Amino acid sequence: MHQNTTKMKKIILTSAAALYSAILFAQFGPEDTTRPKELDEIVVTATRTERKISNVAVPVRVIDQKTIQQAGSLRLRDILQEQAGLYMTNGFGVGVQMQGLSPDYTLIMVDGEPLVGRTAGVLDLNRVAVGNVRKIEIVKGPSSSLYGSEAMAGVINVITDNSFRKKLNAGIRYGFGNPDKGWGLPGASSTFENMDFSLQGSTTIGKLGIQFFSDANLFDAVSFRLYSAERVPQPVKRFTNQLQLSYRFSQKTKLSLSVRDAYDHIKQEFATTNNGGITHSYGREANNDLNMNAVLLHQFSDKVKNTTRLYATTYNGSQILHFREFTDSVYDDEFRQHFYRAENQTDVSWTRSTLTAGGGYAIDQVNSTRYDDISSRKQNTIAYGFAQYEWRPADAVTVIAGVRYDDNKLFAAAFSPKLALRYTVSKKLSLKASVGRGFKAPDFRQLYLNFTNNAAGGYSVFGSIDAVRIIDQLNRLGQIAEIRDDYSKLKQLTPEYSTGVNAGGTYTPTDKLNFNFNVFRNDIENLIDAREVAVRSNGTQIYSYINVKNAFTQGVELEAAYQFNEKFRVNAGYQYLYTADKADLQKIDSKTVFTRDENGFSRLLTKADYVGLPNRSRNMANLKLSYDNKKFFATSRILYRSKWVVSDADGNGLYNKQDEFAKGYVQLNISAGRQFKNGIRVQGGMDNVLNYRDINNLPNLAGRMIYLSAQFKLIP
Amino acid sequence: MKNTIISALALAVVFTACTKDKNVTKPVDPNAFSVAVSGKIVTVKNLPADTIVGLVSGQPVGVGKYSFFNLRTNAWVSNADSASSNWDLAFNGSTIRVNAGTSGPGAGGAFVLVGAYDNLTTVPADSVFKTDAYPSYAITKGSGKGWYSYDGATNLLTPIPGRVLVIKTADGRFAKVEILNYYRGGVTPSASATDEIKTSEQRYYTFRYTFSNSTTF
Repeated sequence: MHQNTTKMKKIILTSAAALYSAILFAQFGPEDTTRPKELDEIVVTATRTERKISNVAVPVRVIDQKTIQQAGSLRLRDILQEQAGLYMTNGFGVGVQMQGLSPDYTLIMVDGEPLVGRTAGVLDLNRVAVGNVRKIEIVKGPSSSLYGSEAMAGVINVITDNSFRKKLNAGIRYGFGNPDKGWGLPGASSTFENMDFSLQGSTTIGKLGIQFFSDANLFDAVSFRLYSAERVPQPVKRFTNQLQLSYRFSQKTKLSLSVRDAYDHIKQEFATTNNGGITHSYGREANNDLNMNAVLLHQFSDKVKNTTRLYATTYNGSQILHFREFTDSVYDDEFRQHFYRAENQTDVSWTRSTLTAGGGYAIDQVNSTRYDDISSRKQNTIAYGFAQYEWRPADAVTVIAGVRYDDNKLFAAAFSPKLALRYTVSKKLSLKASVGRGFKAPDFRQLYLNFTNNAAGGYSVFGSIDAVRIIDQLNRLGQIAEIRDDYSKLKQLTPEYSTGVNAGGTYTPTDKLNFNFNVFRNDIENLIDAREVAVRSNGTQIYSYINVKNAFTQGVELEAAYQFNEKFRVNAGYQYLYTADKADLQKIDSKTVFTRDENGFSRLLTKADYVGLPNRSRNMANLKLSYDNKKFFATSRILYRSKWVVSDADGNGLYNKQDEFAKGYVQLNISAGRQFKNGIRVQGGMDNVLNYRDINNLPNLAGRMIYLSAQFKLIP
Repeated sequence: MKNTIISALALAVVFTACTKDKNVTKPVDPNAFSVAVSGKIVTVKNLPADTIVGLVSGQPVGVGKYSFFNLRTNAWVSNADSASSNWDLAFNGSTIRVNAGTSGPGAGGAFVLVGAYDNLTTVPADSVFKTDAYPSYAITKGSGKGWYSYDGATNLLTPIPGRVLVIKTADGRFAKVEILNYYRGGVTPSASATDEIKTSEQRYYTFRYTFSNSTTF
């Protein structure tokens, strides 16, 4: 009952605010609805220099502001999930799987600076609000030659609005749903609600540009399933504030400063059953992300440009859980990462070529309860240099050669070359091909983790730096029963590598029709895996991290766009993906892997039975229909993902057709909006219209949700 | 005297089980213990192996008893015969003992072979039969080390396909055994099944075997 009144109050407040604002700002003049048609967009992420997308030799996609707005997206996850070939993973937040590589291997940047604070390799995409995003650039294929660690599968660069045009906009949104009943009623106790408030403004005073963005997102999902054993979305409050300043000293020199703060508070009330015993846990997870950067741009001449970037970021993640059943015990997990970087880049442009060269120094520090002692700071320093030469021997041809060297204090250095070619065959057809090397530095967790799971049998995981010392110590105390073969492989971890090849192009048979195609293959070496290295006298296992696995991912990406007329447009995307662990393929070749037939009897496993790495779909597709007459728009977006393997049901140690799969599914999202003359934009939509849910395999997919939003231009 | 009475009782149980099996008109309960002979191959279903009776400090436990099985007579043997050569394999949770060494007075032994059941037609000449030496067993315990793999994420135990237990019986003859399933009814619960189901359904063996008077099967 109390729940109800609170919710009713919220709704009344929400509606009142909307109405009040509507009345207040109804007087303002007509909105500028004409948008410049960006036929050939400028992108920066692919080459670290501004380039027309048609001239870029690597696969790059741009999601523009209008697409983000029309999809009703609030967080980075919302918009990325609608892109062909990007799959949102579940566990430790929402991560992105690109070209079949796990979330660990995609670099996520905001305005060209990396976000830190990954849990088990996953950077939660819900941490990033997209309300002030001008565009998102997605570069596929290894990009470590420019960006260093993590850019193995590709790079996602979220670029915020930095126009500093005079404006003040307010946004409000209310969404609700009830997946169990199919349709929710606003205010009902079993309804979950998602509310968002945003305010952004910018202006230019002389040479100074000022811009700010504030966003509050309140998602309340657990009220109807308190202490549920099912992993449903938890009640979340997320706040984002960003302030950007720009000062133009002269035509040639500009300084930009940005401070971004994102805070997430996730309430936790859930029940877990382990071996039949139920534990009720309650507490909270709180994450704070603070980024500060300064960019000094100086144009020495028409030909020479210099960019100096300073970046400091802190990520504090903490989780505190209490237990109803064990009142004297508290689970306290703290993770604090600091990352500082100074970088300088010079671009020299000639008529037919550009040289980009630079270098930098970074300090990466972590304190965590997950390691031996939270007060002991783990630190890595990285010194790096990169160079890229872009040559256009003819108008139709671009050749790019790049290389980067990262020298790490804690582990082996990484060398990342890249070569890319683009050839414009005709006005209708252009081809591109690239080959590059990507790497990912070992995590601090892989180096320093010191974890013993007393709740589940007492096994331990030690990071590679301490594992040998700890095991030797235990051995001297007579506590080690057995040293496993993998113990001998324990040594300093080296980065994980990938070699990626991308080949494809763009075909534009008519003004209205456009195709993009790309074939890719990523060979991944040296993957770090947790392996059993010793057994204690009491039978519990000790694990550590070793560079052992080799895998590959390969596939085809296709995109088509058809513009029926000025108003009506269709976009379609498709990705076919095949992945394999190379050791698995060898085992199948050696005829030592079996599965079971329909009678439950063993039979040899064939390559045709093998499905590759888990949690990957062979087929993914999307279809978007949109109508836009500049005053009114409507979109319908369909996403499809084929079945994916979730567990090794036949126990043969690899994933094959006889194992357990999550069902393939279709998700439908629709939205429509109207632009009014007084600067008000009203939008409504429904996410997950078909109310598709799979609580075990897609815990982050909320049920059907209806939302309404309004944007107000507070300054005409 | 006492022993004789217990043996008699055990025999009575076996006989009753046999008569039940012959009653073909009733639909077969998929969860009942059964022994079916088809040519040389004997299939045993739902042999309980110290099934879960409760929790002790959060861990599921049984009462601690083994189920003894005689591969020569196709019979589930009384626990009273534990110290005899009247059994070849004894089951308790994921532990399988052979009748030799620290486990029994017999001349048994075993090893785990990687391969298909049907392809094993003779006991390999270079076979080394191990015996139980507590706390280690001829049929190695541990995930991925012997006949099963255990997934800590799903809490499910699965017999690894392509593992044949080559057994020396208590009287020194041979049998080959393939464990087919570890759960009641011969069906492993889904990865997403509740813990209650995973706990209550486990420790029911379904396996097939071929016993031989010689070294060929």
